[in-house]
Amino acid sequence: MTYLLTSLFLTVCLIFLPHFMSGPYYVHVFIITMMNIILTSSLRLISLSGQISLAHGGMMTIGAYTSALLVMRLGLSTWYAMLIAGLFVALVACLTGFPFMRLKGIYFSIVTVFFSEMVVLITQQWESLTGGSGGIYNIPAPGAIVVTGLFNIDFLSKIHFYYFALFLMIASLLILYAIEKSRIGFILKGIKQTDSLAESIGINTIGFKVLAYSTGCFFAGIVGAFYSHYISAMCPDTFGFFYTINILVYMTVGGIEVFAGPILGAFVLTILPEITRVLKEFMPFIFAAVLIAVIFFLPEGLAGLFSRLIAFIKKIIRIKNA
Amino acid sequence: MLEVKGLSKFFGGLEAVSNIDMTVKAGEIFGLIGPNGAGKTTFFNLINGVIRPTRGRVIFEGQDITGKKPHSVAKKGIIRTFQANNIFPDFTVIENVSLSCHLKTGIGIFEASLHTPGSKKKEKDVLERSYEIIKHAGLESFTNTAANSLSHGHKRILGIANALAAEPKLLMLDEPLGGMNAEEVSETINLIRRLLDDGLTILLIEHNMRATMSLCDRIFVINFGKKIAEGNPAEVKENPEVIKAYLGAGQNA
Repeated sequence: MTYLLTSLFLTVCLIFLPHFMSGPYYVHVFIITMMNIILTSSLRLISLSGQISLAHGGMMTIGAYTSALLVMRLGLSTWYAMLIAGLFVALVACLTGFPFMRLKGIYFSIVTVFFSEMVVLITQQWESLTGGSGGIYNIPAPGAIVVTGLFNIDFLSKIHFYYFALFLMIASLLILYAIEKSRIGFILKGIKQTDSLAESIGINTIGFKVLAYSTGCFFAGIVGAFYSHYISAMCPDTFGFFYTINILVYMTVGGIEVFAGPILGAFVLTILPEITRVLKEFMPFIFAAVLIAVIFFLPEGLAGLFSRLIAFIKKIIRIKNA
Repeated sequence: MLEVKGLSKFFGGLEAVSNIDMTVKAGEIFGLIGPNGAGKTTFFNLINGVIRPTRGRVIFEGQDITGKKPHSVAKKGIIRTFQANNIFPDFTVIENVSLSCHLKTGIGIFEASLHTPGSKKKEKDVLERSYEIIKHAGLESFTNTAANSLSHGHKRILGIANALAAEPKLLMLDEPLGGMNAEEVSETINLIRRLLDDGLTILLIEHNMRATMSLCDRIFVINFGKKIAEGNPAEVKENPEVIKAYLGAGQNA
């Protein structure tokens, strides 16, 4: 219940927030934050099955290029192109997932890193299709949504993208939450704990892992596609290895155990570098320090910090009342 | 019910299981014994598909299941327990069993993720069934306890309950009594007897000889991957090969 109220409150805040922002820069920061929240939460869905994927960057690249090329080469509507990009990425994840998921733990992660790097190399080398290392630019923005008399969303201003990103984020989080709270999430958590037992009682563990992987990557593909239309340019290494590592850091810092963890982590760690912009040069060091500090002192992440604080406050109240 | 023909598994030059023929009849409890390292667990792994046999066939209810994945073997009705890792440690007892009901829930992927009323009703049925199984296994006072905080004996019993939730036709128990104290042993033996009364077929690996002798209809003895004896408990106990395998061949033996 508190969860529902909190998320409703935050949603309302986010709807009205742009009206209080002083310039497009802050809107941009929030759009990126919302993208990162989707990415981190979808990465967590994969990690529910105990597998840490580092293929998100590669999957985003595939999504971004697919959508951009569908629009620019085939003249498809941006809306369809983005959806197709997401589905295509899910298909790629499904096909690569079956061989990858035979590996466990760190071995799986390593293979996904290689996959990501392969995607970057292919987009760099396949010049006739992707334009090579120069990337592609002038990617059109989504088509305008016009309801005569009511509103006219033409994606000329950043605010429109803000609301689009907000819609994407809320829809993604609702879907991810529904999956996690369903029997599928339950099965994935079981697989994470003892996958030999899960297999022996008749759960197709590889199948469920691939399902999680494919669903998680679907969102990465959508976000990648969104990004390419938002920035209107795309380079092969925009979502390189370090981008993926950042997502992983957001997830770990936020806390992997609860649904709110990645949201919190992505929010704090995307906003933090913007606030401390003076220290931009040192950001990787600060990130590393935050990560190490969290691993040592807050094994449950920032989300764990919150629940600990709440428990602490309750304890104080109880002592005062006693 | 279960028929094994010429089953072999070589790890390099080592014959872990070598040319085993065995038939388990419906409704019986069949013991598989042998000294440590004889290949008993490897044999289980071959039947339920954790590893593929080098040679030989496994036939269950007339169907060839050789080399099938564990989850498809489970679907056919063969459920096994392990010597360790029989539980989902972070789940409560009821969650353990209701997850293990997986094959019988009838809840589809889309139905589940959309949280349809139908799936909610089925979910409720699963919980009821899980509770029945927990009661049958004698764990009802621990229903909402985290599996990790159970005693060793209760963890092992929960492992059996998890296997039961998958509604096996053939239950393969890998050392169900391992590491238990006397009281837990008799509790578990009673549970196994109840399962037999329900008509379940059981294939049992166990080192506790007294329990094996008293429970089993027939016993199969292997050593170094080869069959050395088969028969009812009394016959097996007198078999010189078996005595040699267990006690070693002394000079006067």
